[in-house]
Amino acid sequence: MATRTAEVATGVPGLSAERAVTWPKRTKARLANGLEVILAEAHSIPKFHGELFFRSGNAALADRAPGLAEITATVVRTGTAKRASRQIEEDLRRIGADLSSSAGADTSAISFAGLSEFSEPLLGLVNELAREAAFPEAEFDRERRQKLEEVKLERTQPGFLASERLRKVLFGAHPYARVSPSEEQVAAYKRDDLQEVYRESYTPENGLLLLVGDFDSQAMLQSVEKVFGAWTGKKPETKTAAAPAYPRGRRVYLVHVPGAVQTQILTGCHAITRKHPDWVKLGLTNSLYGGAFNSRLVMNIREDKGYTYSPRSGVHALRQHGYFSVSAAVRNDVVAASLTEIFYEMDKLRSLPVPETELADAQNYLSGVFSMGLATQDGLLSQLSTVGLNELPDDYLETYRAKVRALTPEDLLATARKYLDSANMQIAVVGDRAQIEAQAALFGEIEIFDAQGKRIS
Amino acid sequence: MKRLQVGIESTTLANGLKVVIAPDTTAPVVTVGVYYKIGFRLEPQGRSGFAHLFEHMMFQGSANAPKMQHIKLINSSGGVLNGSTSYDVTNYYEAVPSNALERVLWLEADRMRALKVDDENLKNQRDVVKEEVRVNVMNQPYGGFPWLDMPPVAFRNWANAHNFYGDFADLDAADLKDVQAFFNTYYVPNNAVLLVLGDVKAEDGISLAKKYFSDIPAGAAPPFADPSEPEQTEERRGNVEEKFGTLPAMAIGYVMPKRRTADWCATALLDQALHGGRAGRLHRELVLEKQIAVEADGGIDDIFGYNGPTQMTTRILHKPEYSSEATLAAFDAVIREVQQNGISADELEQLKVKWRSDYYATLEGGRGGYMPKYGLMHLLACFTLFDNQPQLVNTILDGFLAVTREEIQAVANKYLRNEKRAIVFRTPVKVGAKEAA
Repeated sequence: MATRTAEVATGVPGLSAERAVTWPKRTKARLANGLEVILAEAHSIPKFHGELFFRSGNAALADRAPGLAEITATVVRTGTAKRASRQIEEDLRRIGADLSSSAGADTSAISFAGLSEFSEPLLGLVNELAREAAFPEAEFDRERRQKLEEVKLERTQPGFLASERLRKVLFGAHPYARVSPSEEQVAAYKRDDLQEVYRESYTPENGLLLLVGDFDSQAMLQSVEKVFGAWTGKKPETKTAAAPAYPRGRRVYLVHVPGAVQTQILTGCHAITRKHPDWVKLGLTNSLYGGAFNSRLVMNIREDKGYTYSPRSGVHALRQHGYFSVSAAVRNDVVAASLTEIFYEMDKLRSLPVPETELADAQNYLSGVFSMGLATQDGLLSQLSTVGLNELPDDYLETYRAKVRALTPEDLLATARKYLDSANMQIAVVGDRAQIEAQAALFGEIEIFDAQGKRIS
Repeated sequence: MKRLQVGIESTTLANGLKVVIAPDTTAPVVTVGVYYKIGFRLEPQGRSGFAHLFEHMMFQGSANAPKMQHIKLINSSGGVLNGSTSYDVTNYYEAVPSNALERVLWLEADRMRALKVDDENLKNQRDVVKEEVRVNVMNQPYGGFPWLDMPPVAFRNWANAHNFYGDFADLDAADLKDVQAFFNTYYVPNNAVLLVLGDVKAEDGISLAKKYFSDIPAGAAPPFADPSEPEQTEERRGNVEEKFGTLPAMAIGYVMPKRRTADWCATALLDQALHGGRAGRLHRELVLEKQIAVEADGGIDDIFGYNGPTQMTTRILHKPEYSSEATLAAFDAVIREVQQNGISADELEQLKVKWRSDYYATLEGGRGGYMPKYGLMHLLACFTLFDNQPQLVNTILDGFLAVTREEIQAVANKYLRNEKRAIVFRTPVKVGAKEAA
């Protein structure tokens, strides 16, 4: 609870008339081979940004090996039938381009940006990586060893340990429970398995190509057809894993890091996906709770109490299931006090309607920040990818602000009651057991793990 | 080759405040920045970390906008805000829908005119800053490496060598008198630049700047301590314990020329030859080919924004089965190669195209995805505060694109010398460290 009365500012200039937000026209096409293409012009700088997505990520392959989509994406950029690794890197530099390949739970992607004057050679290289990756043995061996070091390193990062534990607790037997492979699993990766994934997943029918930047859309579409048109490949079969059970009742999962001088708190519950009709409502509720600097949680545990530097809440929309979470890295002696305030603010939103002025402030915030995606090529690309990957309606960008502004205090109350599931929050805390166990145990039955994930109590 | 030309209007108000407007109607969004020419390098002795703590205090209340109001008024206008402290400047910035421009200018002027904070605010932000240091440095593997570890090893002048995030004892010792004195000394309009970028007409930007800022009185010209370093004549080495990570690490830093001197552009491209991502020589050699290191990256930090001694720093995390000396020898071989043979015409051409492409990205660039034109703002601010030439943003590229192979080889030999470098080893206390040298 805030202990200090907020004073108001005097003499603040009002807002002038809003300039209309006009999203650029999108050019959408589906090539004969099934590749979906979305283009939008943005002439702010003489560059363009692009992303070639495949709708298969680590979750779809989890029954073969955790992280298999990620290691496949990593090795994709290390060699093709025509170019060795070093050649690829130098060719990218020659055309002023950046490129990365990665995979998340639900997608694999090749992301790139470069000068407009060299758009064809860059698209050519992307095409080559998507179709003719060679998975050189030596490159595979090196990337696997590199990955081994990465998975060791992430076990020393409090943020990773907290999210790994929370995901395990929320998702149980579902593939979303695994955020990273173990060392043994990495060591067992086989080059053949990567190539099989590549053959199945990196296909035009499974793909979505987004391009944003300084180009003429019709000319760019012709380039895309020329470069990607001859590619063929079917959509892979998808299996949907059984829905995870929702954990009931608050429980505490402590990851013991001896000597930690701070405690990472991460608490969460199941929520919804991006396609769910309540998405906008939950977005606004989250923004007001802990999603913005001016939110209740930040004002309480940072600006009023000084427990933490960067508390935040968020809704994580994975494709099949979403979850809501609250994180804060706090001083060791205020773990219980911080959790108390985290739940207090959730319960308050579940109990009392939000005052009209506070609602209007949050609506302005969310709709203003949404429009900033217009101002940069990569901001626009990110908005378009949200729409494209989640198969949202064509007018999503144009209608989002009006939807946010139509919400009422009653909508938020109902949304908080439905999704800020205070009574069933699962609590991960990462810190030194000796300093925080007693505080954490006040919030539910406690299980204690070491940084390797082994239960120790 | 298509060149980007940024339209700029600039002026100086009677109180000495510099104003730079860069209109662009791409989106109905305006980015506002206020930069003060003071960073952590020249914060008061005995008050390490103070410039950054002070930056936090600028969000704690001003004469007409009490605590929490700055953040609330910007967020509720649909905008985002932040501030940051670096070596030689401190910035405060907002990106908002353009209908909130006057409100933002009013807020920035209010806190430039008069800070209004109390002991409770100071205690609160001291606590927040300590958690910031814990989450970024003390409770993270390789936290603060090497940006906090290198200065005390590399430099002898306190200005360059102290803990920029702050020793907790110094943070605790800071009081409201320090806050007011720092504000009175450095946060005067004649030590600042106001930037308005995006959806604004040049003449409106200038007249609004006058409307809100012209009645703020000028202050005395701030005193600046001399940040220069005594000539370095031998290699310096230091050791720091790594509490969480298990890989041995090292950082190697070479002193660089002053910005905008004759060698500056060539060192920047040399930096790209060595550190430019996966094509960079160090990553290629140490990570991809010899496979000694897990990470090898780095460079000259904030090349346009430093105004005192700085280094080109390489950060290496290496496999425990290689000793520190073996790793350093592999690093030295890369340096020696470029000193002896320079770089090819083809490599130089690649570096220039990439530099130009990166420069455009910087100008447009957001911070955290949602701060349009952050990079343009930063460059305009530095070119105004340090050079009094905001127009450099349109011409600075020429110098980099004119660098020759001979110049690159010459600066490699002139600056990448053992007696001009410092090395910090960050050594794990945990398992995996046993095999390290």
